[in-house]
Amino acid sequence: MITMRKVGKTYGTDKPALHDVDVDIEQGEFVFLVGHSGSGKSTFIRLLQRELLPSRGQIVVAGQDIVKLKNWKVPYLRRNIGCVFQDFKLLPNKTSYENVAFALEVIGRSKHVIRTQVPEVLRLVGLEDKMESYPDELSGGEQQRVSIARAFVNRPPILLADEPTGNLDPATSLGIMSLFNRINKTGTTVLVATHDREMVDSMRKRVIALENGYVVRDQHRGVYGYGD
Amino acid sequence: MAINVGYFIKESVTSFRRNWVMSLGAVITIYLSLLLVGLSMVTGYLVSEVVKSVEDKVSIQIFLKDGAATADVEALQGWLLRDELVEAVNYVSKEQALERFKEEMAGSPEIIDSMRENPLPASLDVTLNDPRTVQEMVERIKAQELFVQVCDRPDDPEQSLKYGQQIVDRLFAFTRIVRLVGVVFVAMLASVSLIFINNTIRLAIYARRKEIGIMRLVGASNSFIRAPFLLEGVLQSLLGAGIAILTIVAIQAAVLPRLQEALPFLPVDVSTAAMLQLSAVLLGAGILIGLLGSGFALRRYLKV
Ligand SMILES: Nc1ncnc2c1ncn2[C@@H]1O[C@H](COP(=O)(O)OP(=O)(O)O)[C@@H](O)[C@H]1O
Ligand SMILES: [Mg+2]
Repeated sequence: MITMRKVGKTYGTDKPALHDVDVDIEQGEFVFLVGHSGSGKSTFIRLLQRELLPSRGQIVVAGQDIVKLKNWKVPYLRRNIGCVFQDFKLLPNKTSYENVAFALEVIGRSKHVIRTQVPEVLRLVGLEDKMESYPDELSGGEQQRVSIARAFVNRPPILLADEPTGNLDPATSLGIMSLFNRINKTGTTVLVATHDREMVDSMRKRVIALENGYVVRDQHRGVYGYGD
Repeated sequence: MAINVGYFIKESVTSFRRNWVMSLGAVITIYLSLLLVGLSMVTGYLVSEVVKSVEDKVSIQIFLKDGAATADVEALQGWLLRDELVEAVNYVSKEQALERFKEEMAGSPEIIDSMRENPLPASLDVTLNDPRTVQEMVERIKAQELFVQVCDRPDDPEQSLKYGQQIVDRLFAFTRIVRLVGVVFVAMLASVSLIFINNTIRLAIYARRKEIGIMRLVGASNSFIRAPFLLEGVLQSLLGAGIAILTIVAIQAAVLPRLQEALPFLPVDVSTAAMLQLSAVLLGAGILIGLLGSGFALRRYLKV
């Protein structure tokens, strides 16, 4: 589902943010991307979204060589990739329902599809009672659930999350992770960038560890790391 | 796509209200530039109508010197009548010319009183079958020996001929100047309106940067993201164009009847067909300005 070959990324003239990354992620996998702040996790995610182009190497996502992908086709690639961020990125003047519906409206889905899929996905994330609430009326965990609902409402085959629990307390984070697990069980490939050690250690999923832009470890049923 | 049209219009209206100062500036400058375009088109139209009516009446006057031999004048008249371009030739004597002049100048008798003798020459008035052949006929007359013999000013025969072409040429020279000045003004106003639209769209993009970010994230197509902004620019221009058309219609209704009263001998009227054509041109120009202005802004400020 995701293949990276000898991928490097250098911002400007700085030292590279990613070096020679070789990674294969199969359909339906659940993968943690771990590393200190500044190790290159966000760069990794943004390359897969084609928010960034790599300085060198080849990236294939959902069967498409995204380095060679024409600009006008990028939106269609992104419809196959749900994204979740630390800061939720919800629109403050829209309710939970409207925030999720917005994602379908702007890719031209019909009213009928919106009316059936939005409540369904909000139920999946456990927010059936908060559909009419605005973001400032929701807790951090609830806001993150809305943003996950928005990322997943179009049933993309891939879900990327960049520090999704960075702003949440441990108990809430656990709830969010189990939600990712449920989504992964539906066959969706899930990639979560995090530096939440306990979470990674408790879930026992595949772990890719980055350090100064190098992949230093790629381990199935792994833990966050040794020592530090 | 039915849902999208409503969505785009809602977005444009919201955005217009959010940036109403800039939007109003854009509408006003577009209005002014299109109003100028429209007014100069109406003027041009009226002038060309007048020119046409002058052409209808066009004739060539050949002024004769005092004491020209009657035989020569009659020979020239005969030669003219034989020419296939000529419809009629009318001899006007010195006395008749003076009578005509007195009639025309009835409003200012002091001019007539101040004339001691009759300064007006006799003339041959030549009417043509087709007014477009005036120049050609003038050339034929100038080449004619008889003409040089009898004309009022043998030293400069050209001066003994008077024909409508000169009026027509002067009218055209006048409209050329009007048009040039108009083009300069319109170009200035159009660039100001482009700057205004550019700015409103920039502000609109800024105000909606969060939505835009999410649209890109969830895979809204580039055209879908751009459409509301393009539409906003076009709506502003159409508004300006619409008001400009209404103003021109109002001016036409208020001013033309009075102008017609003042100039009863000229056809001062704009046909409905010409008005429709004018409206179409202004709306088209409006759409073009709107698309250009927001297009520039999108290229510069909206990276999709
Ligand atoms: N837009 C950018 N411009 C320049 N340098 C950047 C940019 N984004 C990230 N970096 C640098 O790239 C490196 C990796 O950053 P990032 O991918 O954000 O790491 P992480 O998400 O693991 O904290 C860091 O050294 C960071 O300073
Ligand atoms: Mg990061």
